[in-house]
Amino acid sequence: MINTDIKLYFKDVEDIVSQCDRCGTCLTVCPLFGAKDIESSSARGKNNIARGLIQGVVKPSAEVLNIVNFCLLCRTCVDNCPSKVKTDDAMIALRQYFADKDGSPGAKYKALGALMKNRTLVKLSAGTLKVVRRMGMNTMIPHGMAPQEFTRKQYLASFAGPAALGSAAPMSPIKLSDKSKVAYFKGCGMSMMFPDAVEGTLAILRTITKPQIIDNMCCGLPHLAHGLRTDFLDMAKENISLFEESDVIVSDCASCSGTLKHIVAYFADDPVWKERAAAFSQKIMGLSEYLFHVGYKPQQRVDVKMTFHEPCHLGRGQGIKNEPRQILKAAGNFIEMAGSNTCCGGAGSFHMDYPDIAASILAKKRINIENSGAQIVVSECPTCLVQLNKAAAQSGGKFKVMHISQVI
Amino acid sequence: MITDEIKKKIRNIVGLENAIDGKEECFGYSYDSSFVPMSPENIPDLVVIPSSTEEVAAVMTIANEYGIPVTPRGTASGRTGGSIPVHGGISLALHRMTKIIEFDEGNMMITVEAGVRTIDVYNFCAERGLFFPPDPASWKYATIGGNVGENAGGMRAVKYGVTSNYVMGLEVVLADGSIINTGGKAIKNVTGYNLTQLFTGSEGTLCVITKALLRLIPMPKARNTLQLMFPSLDDACKTIHKMLMSGLVPAAAELMDKISIQAVARHRKLEISSSIEACVILEIDGETNDDLEEQAKQIQTIASEFNVIEVRIAASQQEIDDIWAIRRGLSSAIGAMTPNRFGEDISVPRNAFPETVGLIRKIAGKYNLTIAVYGHAGDGNIHPSVLCDLSKPGEEKRVHEAIDEIFTAALSVGGTLSGEHGIGITKRPHITKALGEAGVNALKMVKKSFDPKGILNPNKIW
Repeated sequence: MINTDIKLYFKDVEDIVSQCDRCGTCLTVCPLFGAKDIESSSARGKNNIARGLIQGVVKPSAEVLNIVNFCLLCRTCVDNCPSKVKTDDAMIALRQYFADKDGSPGAKYKALGALMKNRTLVKLSAGTLKVVRRMGMNTMIPHGMAPQEFTRKQYLASFAGPAALGSAAPMSPIKLSDKSKVAYFKGCGMSMMFPDAVEGTLAILRTITKPQIIDNMCCGLPHLAHGLRTDFLDMAKENISLFEESDVIVSDCASCSGTLKHIVAYFADDPVWKERAAAFSQKIMGLSEYLFHVGYKPQQRVDVKMTFHEPCHLGRGQGIKNEPRQILKAAGNFIEMAGSNTCCGGAGSFHMDYPDIAASILAKKRINIENSGAQIVVSECPTCLVQLNKAAAQSGGKFKVMHISQVI
Repeated sequence: MITDEIKKKIRNIVGLENAIDGKEECFGYSYDSSFVPMSPENIPDLVVIPSSTEEVAAVMTIANEYGIPVTPRGTASGRTGGSIPVHGGISLALHRMTKIIEFDEGNMMITVEAGVRTIDVYNFCAERGLFFPPDPASWKYATIGGNVGENAGGMRAVKYGVTSNYVMGLEVVLADGSIINTGGKAIKNVTGYNLTQLFTGSEGTLCVITKALLRLIPMPKARNTLQLMFPSLDDACKTIHKMLMSGLVPAAAELMDKISIQAVARHRKLEISSSIEACVILEIDGETNDDLEEQAKQIQTIASEFNVIEVRIAASQQEIDDIWAIRRGLSSAIGAMTPNRFGEDISVPRNAFPETVGLIRKIAGKYNLTIAVYGHAGDGNIHPSVLCDLSKPGEEKRVHEAIDEIFTAALSVGGTLSGEHGIGITKRPHITKALGEAGVNALKMVKKSFDPKGILNPNKIW
């Protein structure tokens, strides 16, 4: 059973990597090659180690798996590649192959997967992190995974003055028809690390509609990315069923919305789930995408310089580039920074697995933020926010980091 | 095999992390952008990443002492296997030598290290009002060292020549580790053999190029782009010929046949009439916009003598980009048509272009293969792309026979095997056909005198 699956993964991988012309365009854009300039860092290196595996020139080994794991899945290469070779998909498939071959993706990813597959554990973690933060012990948690969130209240107090505080948020002038049932998809990263931003999202949604709150499962990206495809599919099915009654599903996490929009592709050969998955994927919207679509007007305009860090899974992953910027232009003094769509080095658990490389990628991002003169850097993805919070600390408080729902 | 003791010596020179010997990491240095199949034999034993000429020299001294093969490499964007270490040994990756050493405005020259990307040379000079013309398709990621090593061409060759026309001098490390400087800033220079031009295009077999002294010219002030559609390839070629005869030299003259045009049309979802057999994209440049208008008018007049169907003169930067996107997207559009593709690089006397394309058509018919043809019509450099599916039984044999015949066709009209990609591994079998036994022997004698132990990029060219 497993063997046929492996062949299938190889077929998928071969279809992708055989399109690589090995020209080298990706070397100039890959953030990892920028941080560590050896061939295996680049998309060309990864696609060709995949070819090497398929052709038997390279044997599967722990070293090959390391190369396969050393990818941000940021799609910068895909965007710039003349043949649009989907290196990210190839790497995900290869990670799955290694996990199946070894019987497990390794203890670390298995533990992470188990945590995020369990709703109770996700909530418990969120609670623990909240306590840790309240006690000021968050700096002791490694990898910045318990970031001190700069809340909307603090933001308005710092930048908007007292007048903006306390006044009731006006209702958004636009309302969808009563028939549209809008649900909120609560991402694990958001709920564990950025509870104020979750509240912000819900408050905004309430000005537009009566959002359905559904106790959803994890989107499954951490599982999919690390060889736990079966878990991913299980959770996808549960989420599909949970949201069957909703018309629109809004997520304020770019990785969740990006993953959920692509679920349909993983059920293409499944006669039972294919159509339901397609219907589900079509309902997904990123927060800024949804808000732009319904014509949401920010509740206040604040005289503060803000810039946007475009998450890989939002811009390249979903083509949502204009929407958050347009909304931010109405919420403050928006400045576009250099390299705004370059990966911050967060990339799921990448920043924990390769802290040095992630830090060197982040350092470039921090310089771009500082050079922009922005006081606030806004994003729409919890992993990015974790990374950017580290950059803010390194900059000595030159800027604050906020989720888009906290500033609009 | 490189012993631990030798590795230790090399690491003492370049640093521990800059001499990599992990099999999986070294695998990344076993291929380039050619269609040479992957093989464990091409995996180098050691990847060495030097940061200075002195480090290169010290590494070469050790390699020479122990007889270790050394294959220099920029970013491995070559199309003929030139940077593939077919004998293992050391892959000498020069991409970290990225310093611009000197910009000499008074003499209009620039000195750069080998690892500087060609586009960075261009941009650096352009910001200062000067022009480095060679623009091989790979210029965004290829290094200048590689471009000099292969004597790369590009689209602007018709008016501005190829890389060698701009190389005034080189700093190179010889096989024994000695560092020499060739040429110099003097325009007239007949002191000794012209080693600069010998090393340019030597494909890493005679020396390791570490620095290049390049000549620059003033940047043309105005540029525009034209797209011409013709009912026959012959008409397109005649138009280009008459333009050149009348002194109307375009900065680029790219020609695509019908298969190429339709591939792009499918790829980019454009509607292009099936009556069009040839598309020519011209870049013109000059001092003023009036200059350009005048040139465009003359080109239009000439083209209409040869049945041109459509003349499009770009009216905005957007339109310029749109037209060039057709040409730049060509390679991937053609590549997407079939699982495998063999791109060749023959070069023929300019007036033999239509005849050569006719011969290629016959070869395609004979072997029942689709061969897309495009190229730099202004200079006779043709890129036939044999489209195929090697998983089909017998296809590989037919493809190789067809390619053999394409080379024979190029030679029969007075042309040659390669215009700008070099010989590397992929064209080795044909070199004697092109140069003759005595000719190849002469190359071997040159090689032997510079590299008596045969350690530099062995088994290439012949």
